[in-house]
Amino acid sequence: MNKYIAIVGSNADKSTNRQLLQYMKQHFAPVAEIELMEIKDLPVYAKNADRKTPEQALEMAKKIDAAAGVIIATPEYDHSVTAALLNALSWLSYSVHPFVDKPVMIVGASYGALGSSRAQGHLRQVLDSPELKARVMPSSDFLLSHSLTAFDDTGNLIDADNTKLLDGLFQDFEKFVEITKQLNGTLSQDKVNATNVSWQDKK
Amino acid sequence: MKLVGIVGSIADQSYNRMLLRFMSTQYRNMADIEILDISDVPMFNQSNDQSDSPAIQYLNHKILAADGVIIATPEHNHTIPAALKSVIEWLSYNLHPFTDKPVMIVGASYFIQGSSRAQLNLRQILESPGVNAITLPGNEFLLANAKEAFDESGMLKDDRTASFLGSTLQKFVEFVGVIGHLNGRADNPGASEDLYATGNCDTTVKDVDMRDPQWLEKAAEKTNAVSGDAYVKLDRGLLTVNQIDRFLKTMPVELTFADENNQFIYYGDQGHDPKDMLASRTPDQVGDPLYYVHPERALKGVATVINNLRNGKTDLFVLPVPGNGPTKHLMHYYKAMHDEDGVYRGINEWVVDLWPIVASYLKQTGKKLVDDPNAKVAATTGASSSAPVEPDPDASTGASEEEEAPTAPTTDASTGASEETEAPMADATTKASDADIFVAEVDETSGASEA
Repeated sequence: MNKYIAIVGSNADKSTNRQLLQYMKQHFAPVAEIELMEIKDLPVYAKNADRKTPEQALEMAKKIDAAAGVIIATPEYDHSVTAALLNALSWLSYSVHPFVDKPVMIVGASYGALGSSRAQGHLRQVLDSPELKARVMPSSDFLLSHSLTAFDDTGNLIDADNTKLLDGLFQDFEKFVEITKQLNGTLSQDKVNATNVSWQDKK
Repeated sequence: MKLVGIVGSIADQSYNRMLLRFMSTQYRNMADIEILDISDVPMFNQSNDQSDSPAIQYLNHKILAADGVIIATPEHNHTIPAALKSVIEWLSYNLHPFTDKPVMIVGASYFIQGSSRAQLNLRQILESPGVNAITLPGNEFLLANAKEAFDESGMLKDDRTASFLGSTLQKFVEFVGVIGHLNGRADNPGASEDLYATGNCDTTVKDVDMRDPQWLEKAAEKTNAVSGDAYVKLDRGLLTVNQIDRFLKTMPVELTFADENNQFIYYGDQGHDPKDMLASRTPDQVGDPLYYVHPERALKGVATVINNLRNGKTDLFVLPVPGNGPTKHLMHYYKAMHDEDGVYRGINEWVVDLWPIVASYLKQTGKKLVDDPNAKVAATTGASSSAPVEPDPDASTGASEEEEAPTAPTTDASTGASEETEAPMADATTKASDADIFVAEVDETSGASEA
């Protein structure tokens, strides 16, 4: 059984994206182990003279390193990924690079009709950058709209079509994790390249 | 034009900060660009609303008061830095200073991309309904290989790059004007004036509370200001501070100095009781932001006048303040001051009673004032009060206002920077006895000048 890290893209106390990941954790428990990861309490990212990464981020990086893949649930703030999530990703691409070649599945929930569509597109672009360089599963949107009314009292998705779609996507993701292992042409070089980017960047 | 420049990086050393600094010095004749730092802003969290915190309120006020905003963004992971995104989130949650605000995006990067993806992303963010800024279309300025782009004094080495940046900024300045019309700001040119003086100019004394009644004493100590018999070299002459003081105190006008940061920093205290002054000033007011030395009703007019002077729409604003009886004709003059580079440096205000001059003229020449039957009398003052001499200052008052200051605001605005006052429509409060006193003074004065 694969182990996955599920990053809650919101630092708010109440988040339907957290709720969505809690649902996935419980719903996919028979086939996979999913551990939720919070991003709040990280300091605001800033380059520093000794290139230090906060302890919390180093812990996160360790867990991501050990995981078969990462699921990220992102809300949409101002047509884009939350500052808090960008902040976490910045720390996780500074002195450590746990995302390099890591399979990632993106999901997202929003109160309105769009289901964080623009934030998800933005997140793909961010994860594609040289210091993150994740392997994001293509063609696989899961946009949960009207998220405040999407769950029942026990935290299950009410809409059967949604559940079916998410089942299919997660099945695909497990396969994608396996396939990604074969995309190893640049594997040994990728970590080095990601690190080099930051070295050159260092002033 | 007042712009603020937001440095999108919180790194100690930032080429984007250098870029904004270069713009603010190189193009200071095009716009006044104040650089804002975002280092102290906490990470946005909707469960811990800090919209009222000083760091966020500071940015909010600055952006609200500016005609436009320039954002210089680096690129992190193909997008804008988390710190910049956090600022925008705070400013699109409970506060919305970007609403309808013209924004220009620039960016510098270490490598060839010049922050291209971050800039596109920033456009998308500024477009969102909570932010609702109006971003200058096209006119991208991407500074690649930033490490090599500046010389030791922080100037862009490449002339063509600098001149392209200048032309882009010029377009933005025009764009701000166009958007101002769209937003109806043209009808309220004072809207961008920060009467609270929350900013700094290079002469602002830092870390002394502007509202402290002892501001002068504290600021003087802080700056080790010279006084007494210390010599000061002037253009053109050499005077001691005491001599300057005597000189200014005996000017036949009441002088006031407000700097370009809208701080009231000097008035000529001639030792009169404040209520006997032509425009009342009190010693504790020195140092106050202009907001606090004007009545609420005058603020809009004050802001408009200052803005017209700052932007060169007018160099001298003249405000007749009638309503003081037939033997007193108060004029307030607001003259823009500029440094040798033509940059606006504040206002020289003088208040003068013209009546002694007119009276002297009449006495000298044996003429008298009569009503002009063709003049349209501005129905302002209470000159109807019967008094020995019956001039009709009203006609000329109205006319001169029109002539001198075509861009002048309408009457409610016109109270201008004189805090005490005396709106033009105000009641004629002068008592007959006052008038007599001033007649007496008139005679004295003219006598003196003859001598």
